[in-house]
Amino acid sequence: MSKLKSPGELEALRHEIQSKRGAKQMITVCSGTGCLACGAVELTAAFIREIEKKELAHKVEVRPTGCHGFCERGPIVVILPQKICYLRASVEDVAEIVEKTLIKGELVDRLLYEDPETGKRIRYVDDIPFYKHQQRILLAGNVLIDPTNIWDYLAVGGYAALAKALFESTPEEIIDIVKESGLRGRGGGGFPTGVKWETTRNASAKPKYAIVNADEGDPGAYMDRSLLEGNPHGIIEGLIIGAYAIGANEGFIYVRREYPLACKNTRIAIEQAREYGFLGTDILGSGFDFDISVHHGAGAFVSGESSALMNAIEGRVGEPRPKYVHTSVKGLWDKPSCLNNVETWANIPFIVTKGAGWFKRMGTPGSTGTKIFSLVGKVNNTGLVEVPMGMSIRDIIFKIGAGIPGNKKFKAVQTGGPSGGVLPEKLLDLPVDFDELTKAGSMMGSGGMIVMDEDTCMVDTARYYIDFLAHESCGKCVPCREGLRQMLKILNRITRGEGTMEDIGLLEELCSVIKVASLCGLGQSSVNPVMSVLKYFGKEVEAHVKDKRCPAGVCKNLIAFHIDPEKCKGCGLCAKNCPANAITKTADKVHVIDQDLCIKCGLCISVCPEKFRAVEKVPAFQFQNAV
Amino acid sequence: MYLNNNEEATLFGSNPQHADVVVIDDDDSMCEGCRQTLEAGGFRAAVARNGNDGLRLVRHTRPHVALVDLKMPGIPGLEVMAKIPQIDSSIVIVVITGHGTIDTAVESMKIGAFDFLTKPFDPERLLETVQRGIKLSEIRKTPASTAKETMAAPKQPMPQKVDKHEVLLEGLAMLMHGYEAGLERQDVLNELRYLESEAKYHAESLGQVKKREKAILDIINQLKVVDEIIEKHGFRKNALIQILLDIQARLNWLPRHTLKWLSARLGVSLAEINTIAHFYGAFSLEPRGRHTIEVCLGTACHVRGGTDLLAKISALLGLKAGETDTQQIFTLKTVHCLGCCALAPVMQIDGKPYSNPSLDQMKKLFASIQNEEELVCRN
Repeated sequence: MSKLKSPGELEALRHEIQSKRGAKQMITVCSGTGCLACGAVELTAAFIREIEKKELAHKVEVRPTGCHGFCERGPIVVILPQKICYLRASVEDVAEIVEKTLIKGELVDRLLYEDPETGKRIRYVDDIPFYKHQQRILLAGNVLIDPTNIWDYLAVGGYAALAKALFESTPEEIIDIVKESGLRGRGGGGFPTGVKWETTRNASAKPKYAIVNADEGDPGAYMDRSLLEGNPHGIIEGLIIGAYAIGANEGFIYVRREYPLACKNTRIAIEQAREYGFLGTDILGSGFDFDISVHHGAGAFVSGESSALMNAIEGRVGEPRPKYVHTSVKGLWDKPSCLNNVETWANIPFIVTKGAGWFKRMGTPGSTGTKIFSLVGKVNNTGLVEVPMGMSIRDIIFKIGAGIPGNKKFKAVQTGGPSGGVLPEKLLDLPVDFDELTKAGSMMGSGGMIVMDEDTCMVDTARYYIDFLAHESCGKCVPCREGLRQMLKILNRITRGEGTMEDIGLLEELCSVIKVASLCGLGQSSVNPVMSVLKYFGKEVEAHVKDKRCPAGVCKNLIAFHIDPEKCKGCGLCAKNCPANAITKTADKVHVIDQDLCIKCGLCISVCPEKFRAVEKVPAFQFQNAV
Repeated sequence: MYLNNNEEATLFGSNPQHADVVVIDDDDSMCEGCRQTLEAGGFRAAVARNGNDGLRLVRHTRPHVALVDLKMPGIPGLEVMAKIPQIDSSIVIVVITGHGTIDTAVESMKIGAFDFLTKPFDPERLLETVQRGIKLSEIRKTPASTAKETMAAPKQPMPQKVDKHEVLLEGLAMLMHGYEAGLERQDVLNELRYLESEAKYHAESLGQVKKREKAILDIINQLKVVDEIIEKHGFRKNALIQILLDIQARLNWLPRHTLKWLSARLGVSLAEINTIAHFYGAFSLEPRGRHTIEVCLGTACHVRGGTDLLAKISALLGLKAGETDTQQIFTLKTVHCLGCCALAPVMQIDGKPYSNPSLDQMKKLFASIQNEEELVCRN
């Protein structure tokens, strides 16, 4: 393939691809990480074999695509153009799907989504509640595109925005459009993207750099992973446009090494973009030069912070540096550097093509556009959801997520990862909006939305985040390094049932210092999980301190597992499955747990037959009294 | 007994004294130490501090055993060794080497040394070696063994062999031949048994040499890998983290010598490299198992029982997080979010995620990996 030298050549190629492909039927198989773990590779191979066997290759195409988002029900198969959606499809279903749906035009009922309330089967992907309430713009491409084939991206209009930007607008005009759109940084901070770009453009030093932050460190979030895996060209196109706007000729994509598929697909996409002349010198004949290098993160949460990330690209330890001057003016190698999150860059081509007005119509006045969330935890439909800003958290969890599994009670939702806080039920009607979430003591963050039910202990959750942050703190500044360590010690005490009421006061005091005195965002926002737990779940904390009781039955020191001798029928399942061999049979055939050996993994509860339910979780002190 | 050039006449005029052992070494304290040890052990010992004196002493005293240092001023040790059998073929030569140069020692074995002692050696080892040497020398002196002289004490250096094992195999074949010939004389049988035990001993020494050779080769190959990776990244200092990631990916850990090498090749201080290697979770400064089991402790996994999953895996493998088993098959690690949150809780083996695996499933998985590893080991 020779390089494309003008927008005209690009359009001609697009036309050629579209006419060549014609109106084939298509079987798309979700090949995101989740579905790959459930056997998507074997499934795709089986479809290809079956299509060849039935000699349908001339009119049916099998395409492995990016993540469809409904990871809970993977692997997902969507038949296009009808948009028939089959969930949890397996290799055994392949012959039937081909025979019935593709040849005869019938449905395979058992693989369709079943509405849990009405029991009705839902035929089309857009009618499934999980998808129906979403507004999928950034994720729309994932469903249609094989990320390793640039033709798929071109066929759906890819790189048209780049041509438009390079030939119809000046860099200043692009910045104006982005400013006008109200797009705010999707990495968590919510800083207006256009303003950031303008700062870098106006900075006098040269050269300038444009950087994609794909070091998605927040535990519980995987939007960036899916975007990079499923539609890397969208991000690359956004980055080239941004580089043009700020006047950069060199760009970086900093991606976590924990995402091997994202690394691979990004590399392939960059090579293809170079081959077609979207990267390199004289892009599309515009005279603009730009190229991208990929850097792999080596596994440090703090390296997602802008100045730390730039240190890492320079080959140094990924610690933050004091930002008396913003990185947009003095960043990588002390040159002006524009760093944006994956999702922010992915928005750019859409804004350039469809205009700022179109973008602003979605969302709230303060937070425009859509936002992708990873809806996970104790919720029925886990997966990636893209909704317009301003939708209430309740709608996301209960309409899209279909509520809590096992008829359990909703307890809290955590947004913003380790920098965010937990929100209780009374705040469920809060809209997802940068400012509203911050006001409530949480934050938008990069988009993790972890749902917790009555079986989740909030003290343990706070301890979990502080444990995470204490490990990930780089140790450069004292408040963060020592403060988090002390908080962790206190929280460990409380979850062990050794806490005192003074400990709670001490926690509050530590929070107030760490919040203002830390060097970077990691420390400054690290107190949010603890403060929100103290604020909204104070009673639960007190139960741990005063009653030495964990109401959710999570904190291991405060619970014990016990087999009710009345109920135990001596089937031996628990003893067989116990990984610690802590369960023995007594003379009268009843099983007993040796508390000294028990590792409290809870496997005995899950294997005890439903009809017996002999194993129970009891507060540790109660059990000790009973003995 | 001590010998200097000017003392020679007085000591060995017309009536040469006999000695059991002659020590030829340029190091005074070594000579004195050996002499005292040997005399305390009941042997008559004579010492010389260079090759010329040593050869004269051997000629005069006709010892059973000569201890020869390989590195001396004047005539080199190997030459001294070659000349001794010309004086008396029954003299057993033991080489002393002070430089850990096992290769030279092996070389000397080839041209007829009976054994070698690496400095510093302890008195027991010296006495034991000398005793064995004297025994062999006595056997050599009996007339019946002259027939087998070629194999017992080769006068001429043996032809150079590329493979040291070949020399041994040849020797063992000759032994077998000797047994088959049905030699009935007790002393010859003794000698054959002796040679057999010697051959086994040397086989073991050679095995150790081979092992060391392999270890050095491994290191060289690892350094080659490092060079390859540095070149791929165009010798850029700012690619340091990427280079380390590539080394980690290829070798599964960062051996210290690779870091030293990297420091020298890239011109970055070892301290800086170590800082980076310690800072990031991706790097391991200790050997890891060939299979990495990662248990995700992201938030989604945490609320759905990630820690319980970890407890189960820990109990199954008998490993704590961060540990590697003794056979280096598995390393158990925890990781903060693999980005498979919808599948929580997640365990990942060598990059392949498993969603909430059951105990049985895990038992089978681990067992199948162990079996595979055993097969590989056996082959």
